[in-house]
Amino acid sequence: MSSTIAVLAINGLVFGLIIALIALGLSIIFGLLDVINLAHGDFFMVGTVLTYVIFTMSGLFWPAFILVPLIGFLLGALIQKLVMERLRNAAELSIVATFGLSMIIQEVVRMTFGAAPKRLVSPIQGTFNLLGVEYDIYRIVAALISAAAITFFFLFLNKTKLGTWMRAVRHDRNSATALGIPTQSIFWITFGLGFAMATLGGIVAAPITTVDFRAGVDVLPFCFMAVIIGGLGNLPGTAAAAVLLSFLEGVISGFTDPTIARIFSLVLMSAVLLFRPQGLFKGLAK
Amino acid sequence: MKLLMVNKTLTHLLFASLLAAPWVIPVIGDAFWMSILTEILIWSCFAASINFLFGYVGLLSFGQALYFGFGMYGVALGLTMLGLGFWGSFLLGVSSAGLMALITGALAVRLTWHYFAIITVVFSLIFYFIALTIKPITGGDDGINFAAPEIIKLGDLTLTISNPTTQYFFILAVVALLFFIFKRLVSSPLGKSLMAVRDNETRAALIGLNVYRLKLTAFVISGIFAGISGALFALFGRYASVSYMFYHVSGEGVVWAILGGAGTLAGPFIGTALFILIREVISSYWQHYALIVGAVAILVVIYAPKGIVGMWNQILLKKSEGDKK
Repeated sequence: MSSTIAVLAINGLVFGLIIALIALGLSIIFGLLDVINLAHGDFFMVGTVLTYVIFTMSGLFWPAFILVPLIGFLLGALIQKLVMERLRNAAELSIVATFGLSMIIQEVVRMTFGAAPKRLVSPIQGTFNLLGVEYDIYRIVAALISAAAITFFFLFLNKTKLGTWMRAVRHDRNSATALGIPTQSIFWITFGLGFAMATLGGIVAAPITTVDFRAGVDVLPFCFMAVIIGGLGNLPGTAAAAVLLSFLEGVISGFTDPTIARIFSLVLMSAVLLFRPQGLFKGLAK
Repeated sequence: MKLLMVNKTLTHLLFASLLAAPWVIPVIGDAFWMSILTEILIWSCFAASINFLFGYVGLLSFGQALYFGFGMYGVALGLTMLGLGFWGSFLLGVSSAGLMALITGALAVRLTWHYFAIITVVFSLIFYFIALTIKPITGGDDGINFAAPEIIKLGDLTLTISNPTTQYFFILAVVALLFFIFKRLVSSPLGKSLMAVRDNETRAALIGLNVYRLKLTAFVISGIFAGISGALFALFGRYASVSYMFYHVSGEGVVWAILGGAGTLAGPFIGTALFILIREVISSYWQHYALIVGAVAILVVIYAPKGIVGMWNQILLKKSEGDKK
């Protein structure tokens, strides 16, 4: 019994890191563009589907890490240019637009890819002994890849010129524009980057979840919980909250069932929204 | 003045054709369009509940499906488990939706729009998952089926919703009454205060309006509207299911309301009617109706953020100004 719960807890950590990666994409889109992106879960789903297609067509898994985020970035940038840019000053309408986008993405995938959930063969077969239970090696690799991607994201944001510009735009849009930062370009780069990060999460998760056009619907609330509990706009807080929440859900679902664990997270999120809207991890913000 | 006359005539025409529909539709088309029309009436009431909050108070709720669900389950459980009659279970559905709106609204309306939109989704998700878990009561995804109850029994006269025409007129009466109340509400002092809150919250507070209480009142009224539409929908389908409590249902309602024209009286009806007609016409030979809803949602927010009715009113206004010159 206790070893089962330990495995569920470790599963929670693995998924938490993947969710953190996706939620960071949601968080920068929100922070820079003021858009509540209801299509973010579907970006993730697109990542899993593209990975599945590449893997079944070529038999290769790892090239997905170059191709898929690139496609994701271009799609995201295109959506920002074609749709979101025309909705400036209308934050409410942008929620509606992303809801419509979510419906379109799901339906296009259902039309082309099919409605039946599919499974991807894990690129790394094999297990090792974890507290007396056979644990999938790929899951550990998935956690490491996610952690590395998150580290790169923070390095990019803090050490590169483009990252500094993005932080400046997030901090104060008007002053950034006045200082000569190309705000409009930053916007489509941000949307592209957010989309790319969600698809990256999709690649990592593809071998350990089912590939299904509805997958985004499960992931979206989780990302929102991480963003809110971590504090809107607080990126390290978001990452920490994703891992913590997923870990707690893993442990709780060991005692009851996954739906009750999810209700627990949602109630926690409401409490944070109502009583501590700046998030639980204020100390982590810069 | 002329502008008002045109819209008034149109409204009367619309109502007259809705009254005549049970006789006209069997002559010109399939009787199945009667049930589509009934469905349009019910869902337009749901869209009106979203429109009331968004169009008149400026609060975008993505969680109205929660109150729709309470109305729906109130009726289903009232009929199957509690043995309440038609009116008893109807009242149970509507009052539980209103109560739920009071409890969740008391917390939600404290938040400004970003947080407000998110917390309405979160609240509806919490109860969606709870309803999924307590399968013995809610039936989960399978839902609850029940037999159509009698509306009224007076001596030999029995009115029941098993008769499609009776059902249609019952639903038309309820929805028409709701739209009438809606109209009175909007032009009442309460409605004016709500619009003051929508236009400028700080100024509204400065002239002595209790912003929190006004928002909460609007939230509860909107919850009751959604609850009534849920109760009607349960009676119409003789069915209640968790899937109608998911936030996607709220989202579709938002799209209907905005397409029709947020902040207008007829907007929710027009938007809902258009979408349901598109769905029925297209789904018979193309199953990807969701693609069209999504595309229309995006096109509307880009090109016609005022919706169909909003644009129509603008055209009328321009025309009447032209006449004056």
